[in-house]
Amino acid sequence: MSVVTRRAFLRSSGLGLGVLAGAGLAGCATAIKGDFAPKKGPRVVVIGGGWGGATAAKYVRLLDPNIEVVLIEPNRKFISCPFSNLVLAGVRTIDSLTMGYGGLRKHGVRIIHETATAIEPDQKRVRLGEGYLQYDRLVVSPGVDFQWEQVEGLAQNQDKVLHAWKAGPQTVQLAQQLASMPDGGVFVLSIPLAAYRCPPGPYERTSLVAWYLKTNKPKSKLIVLDANQNIISKAALFRAAWQAYPNIDYRPASRVIAVDPGSKEVRTEFDKIRYDVVNVIPPQRAGAIAVQADLVGGDKRWCEVNHVTYESVKQPGIHVIGDATIGLPVPKSGNVANAMGKITAASVVSLINGKQPPSLAPGNTCYSWVSDREAIAVVNAYRIENGKVVQIEQKLTPAQSPLVAERAVGWTQSIWADILA
Amino acid sequence: MSAMRLAMRLAMRLIMRLAMRLTPPGIALAAALALGALTGSAAHAAGPLDERGALQSVTCTACHGQAGNSRSGAMPIIAGQDAAYLKKQIADYAAGKRLSAEMEPYAKQVLNLGVDDVAAYFASRRREPTPIQAPADAVARGRSAAAQCAACHGPQGQGDVAKLIPSLAGQAPGYLREQMLLFKQDRRSPGDPALTALKALMKTIPDETFGDLAAYYSSLR
Repeated sequence: MSVVTRRAFLRSSGLGLGVLAGAGLAGCATAIKGDFAPKKGPRVVVIGGGWGGATAAKYVRLLDPNIEVVLIEPNRKFISCPFSNLVLAGVRTIDSLTMGYGGLRKHGVRIIHETATAIEPDQKRVRLGEGYLQYDRLVVSPGVDFQWEQVEGLAQNQDKVLHAWKAGPQTVQLAQQLASMPDGGVFVLSIPLAAYRCPPGPYERTSLVAWYLKTNKPKSKLIVLDANQNIISKAALFRAAWQAYPNIDYRPASRVIAVDPGSKEVRTEFDKIRYDVVNVIPPQRAGAIAVQADLVGGDKRWCEVNHVTYESVKQPGIHVIGDATIGLPVPKSGNVANAMGKITAASVVSLINGKQPPSLAPGNTCYSWVSDREAIAVVNAYRIENGKVVQIEQKLTPAQSPLVAERAVGWTQSIWADILA
Repeated sequence: MSAMRLAMRLAMRLIMRLAMRLTPPGIALAAALALGALTGSAAHAAGPLDERGALQSVTCTACHGQAGNSRSGAMPIIAGQDAAYLKKQIADYAAGKRLSAEMEPYAKQVLNLGVDDVAAYFASRRREPTPIQAPADAVARGRSAAAQCAACHGPQGQGDVAKLIPSLAGQAPGYLREQMLLFKQDRRSPGDPALTALKALMKTIPDETFGDLAAYYSSLR
């Protein structure tokens, strides 16, 4: 095991030299010791390179190039969750949703492909490897982690009972399981109680799996076990879309409490259902680092934040954005995370420069596919009132249509560029 | 070699590499970033934070692109569009006159944020034409069909500020096609007297020609 010299490390990471490269840190974990990149000026560290964190990192650089930005993200590629249900249905490839972080490096963001293991708020530093990074302000965009323990049999069968709720290898594996299911088979989809990432996502998945089965395996059935009392987003539009899919057996108030891949059965409080392919979307909480750093509330699940600056109500100097937050009247969506990333960037830059943070509210645009060519949308607009985010209006598309689907494609192209380009 | 000289050499190598890849403004920015960070200088003028409308506009970029220069086919470019035209669209969206499930809530949000600032911000951005390359044959067909549009939108699709007629040059083609369909079906701003003649004209144009017209106008610079 070689210890890379500090100079070589700095060269390979682009840290501390003020250059734009910020190349990856392949195999450099051994070099991460002590204060491995001493702070020379104001620095913002961002944990998590998803929709919120990557946006925040880019916008801090756009708003003030004098601030050094370090993004900590273990994955070398960004894979979009929005549109990943199309991969299950065989309409899109995972490659078409996969992007690199090169665009952020061009903005001068330094990226470390490692996992942040702890936050030390008193010292204002983030631990990773055997070392740490200091910050003036920290943005935590940890996404969600799964509460495996909430469903019996889930923790020990993570390789067999797929969630496919973080786009990536599981998305492809579930698509393969669906494709190799015999015609006449039963696909069971389990939806957790809200709150979870992407409220309409499970119903979009229902629509697209049903479309796939209707098109390719017409004797098959889709049983949807929803822990919620009803469809929790775009209900009327989804119900209208499902008129075309008599293969859907939607069962509200049906919380899955156990899964057994041996007997291929899931259990609800009232029932046992046999499956050929199962997809359990587990209950969720904020990503692990938020729990470690005591950013979560009494429920140990979600992080409460200031509605204007996204600063944690528990830890000053740490801003939390994206799906991990709670208390704002906004859905856990990619568009909201992107908006929070920009607003937080503006707040952080203002605070570092001794200015008043602007009063900006996020917006939510959320498209859902209901077949291979038609989509629906919901949009929420917000304003700040007495320091709190309040909704101005929610509006739904009047019906599903190919034109909405075209705009959905346009939205991904624009917002992926807003996050990464 | 001293650390400083090493740093300078690395920075220069990067600047040269970037210079070969980037457009001229990009070079300037890259050089400024690299040198600024190297010397630790805080020499930047009033930043984007202080620019009128910049912060109120961050929500818009998710769909409309950086500085309003959407790179997608379906989302319109609003950079460089006349401010009065942009303000009228926001007012019409918010009032439910120009029908859009997506834009009606956002228009209300823009009114809350300050429509004058947001419109001024996007109007003052330099328009970067859509990167979507239209097929040459569609552009050619569109050019011959466009004579009737030029009367109002101008020979180069530049629009007419005095009459609140928007610039179409370099606009996203999917957006242009969708709007022509909506005009023809009287689903954009139904009952707006300023659009009566336009809608009558659209009714005389076959749907398939809209794609050609969109290709042509998106190709103009």
